[in-house]
Amino acid sequence: MDADWRYEPLSDVGKSLAESLRDFPREPHMWMYGARSAAALALRGWLRVVQRLGVTGRENLPAEGSFVLVANHSSHWDALCLLSLLPLGRLHRAFPAAAADYFFTDLPRSAVSAILVNALPFDRRGRGRESLALCRHVLEMPGHVLILFPEGTRSADGALADFKPGVGLVVAGTSIPVVPCHISGAYRSWPRDRVLPRPTRLSVVIGAARRYPHVPEGKDGALVVAADLRQAVLDLEEKSNA
Amino acid sequence: MSTSLALHDPVVRTYALMIAAALVLAGVVLSLLTFVAKKPVPSIWATYRGWLVIVPVIFGALVLGRTATIVVFSLVALAGFKELACATGLYRDWWLTGVVYIAIAAQAFVAWIIDPYTGQLGWFGMFRTLPVYAIAAILMVPILRNRTQGQLQAVSLAILGFLYVAWMFGHLLFLASSDHPYGYLLYLIVAVELNDVAAFTFGKIFGRHKLRSEISPNKTWEGSLGALAVSMAMPWLLAFSFPHFGAREKILTGLIVGIGGQLGDLSISVIKRDLGLKDMGAALPGHGGVLDRIDSLIYTAPLFLHMVHWFHGLYGVR
Repeated sequence: MDADWRYEPLSDVGKSLAESLRDFPREPHMWMYGARSAAALALRGWLRVVQRLGVTGRENLPAEGSFVLVANHSSHWDALCLLSLLPLGRLHRAFPAAAADYFFTDLPRSAVSAILVNALPFDRRGRGRESLALCRHVLEMPGHVLILFPEGTRSADGALADFKPGVGLVVAGTSIPVVPCHISGAYRSWPRDRVLPRPTRLSVVIGAARRYPHVPEGKDGALVVAADLRQAVLDLEEKSNA
Repeated sequence: MSTSLALHDPVVRTYALMIAAALVLAGVVLSLLTFVAKKPVPSIWATYRGWLVIVPVIFGALVLGRTATIVVFSLVALAGFKELACATGLYRDWWLTGVVYIAIAAQAFVAWIIDPYTGQLGWFGMFRTLPVYAIAAILMVPILRNRTQGQLQAVSLAILGFLYVAWMFGHLLFLASSDHPYGYLLYLIVAVELNDVAAFTFGKIFGRHKLRSEISPNKTWEGSLGALAVSMAMPWLLAFSFPHFGAREKILTGLIVGIGGQLGDLSISVIKRDLGLKDMGAALPGHGGVLDRIDSLIYTAPLFLHMVHWFHGLYGVR
């Protein structure tokens, strides 16, 4: 017998659908890629035609290599808008970090989060450290995109809240590019308390990538990174208003 | 096969009554155990609930007609192959997995169309030749991609997946096109499941000597022989399924189900043991994966079909 045979069962063998959807990293299922691509095409059409999504600074998105997208967060539109900035081929390697206690609670939510959005289940309670390790692991793969909303939750009034240091714990001391974005119109179209969005205009401004190789790893460095990124997003907001 | 034929067919009606009675009886026994004897049997309840889904799907397909039967059984073959692919890691290779998917679709198509030479339902000659084309297509994948690393394993698994899971199981599609579709299909499915149940029951009551200790530690010689005895009796008890069968065909049917069914079960167990898995999947709660459910059918379907074809001709024209 050839000694080189090695079986590597998929990590979700023997798990129910609900369990396997919560699993991360996700196994590459054909039907999931198909559904995600189809949904992305429909979403891009909707964003362009109904929400009249305007994008400036597209040239700031790195064409190659892994990077982090960071933005303000006031609406479910945010992750969907940022995903629609990426080329379709990159869709399956882009992971918006999403609160596990909200997006992965039951089967329908997990299905939308895992299949359509490709969300990374982020544990906001208790196991934040493990979730940050997962984020770092994602960025170690070539060509992966991690989408983070450092405010940690959707803003209740549309204003930019403080940035949590988690993003800094992921990128401080590394040369991974972090691309700040500012999304406007999302709060007016689809705030927290609305079930369905209003068909109003959305726009995204993409800023120049920032790197933090000289910021020390750890809590202090992380706070520096979080403050710097928050300022970058605020600057983009001003630019967007001007 | 068609809906009105099925609803007026005495074989279909008898099986429908039998299966319904068996499900009701099993439900009553389980309820008595749980609520009266206060002996909770949650795992058997899960298996029972699984049957409450599987039986209507299979029966519904048979009643809807030949096309529905071909579609449902082909989807089952696809799900079975996918489980094997996921369990071995072959699934990560979308090219080979995709080629086998296409071969399974081609198999369904060949089973559905009319034989251009004989005018019979289902192109049986092409179905028997299909492995040649499937293997040729599978072998082309590494050549087109200019790859060698790990390809012996990947290609072997794809060929095993098509031949063993999809094609052997696919013989059921041609039983659906035969001149006794309901009798053959319903008998085979019911007899194979009864064989399973008998092996389990005899094993539980009389089991002392392990059948294959390395492969499936819960199976015993006593269970296996008890199942064989039941399976040898079934063709006489359910003789209305195939009134044209003589003693010779009945004995062969009993042996195919009684021995083949258990060999099919053990074959999947060999693969599971080697992979270090308990079940091939979790598609059917209470049953494990699709492959865990159809393992015996995979093994018996082609043997039964060729026995029928040898003595009577699949279309009754031999």
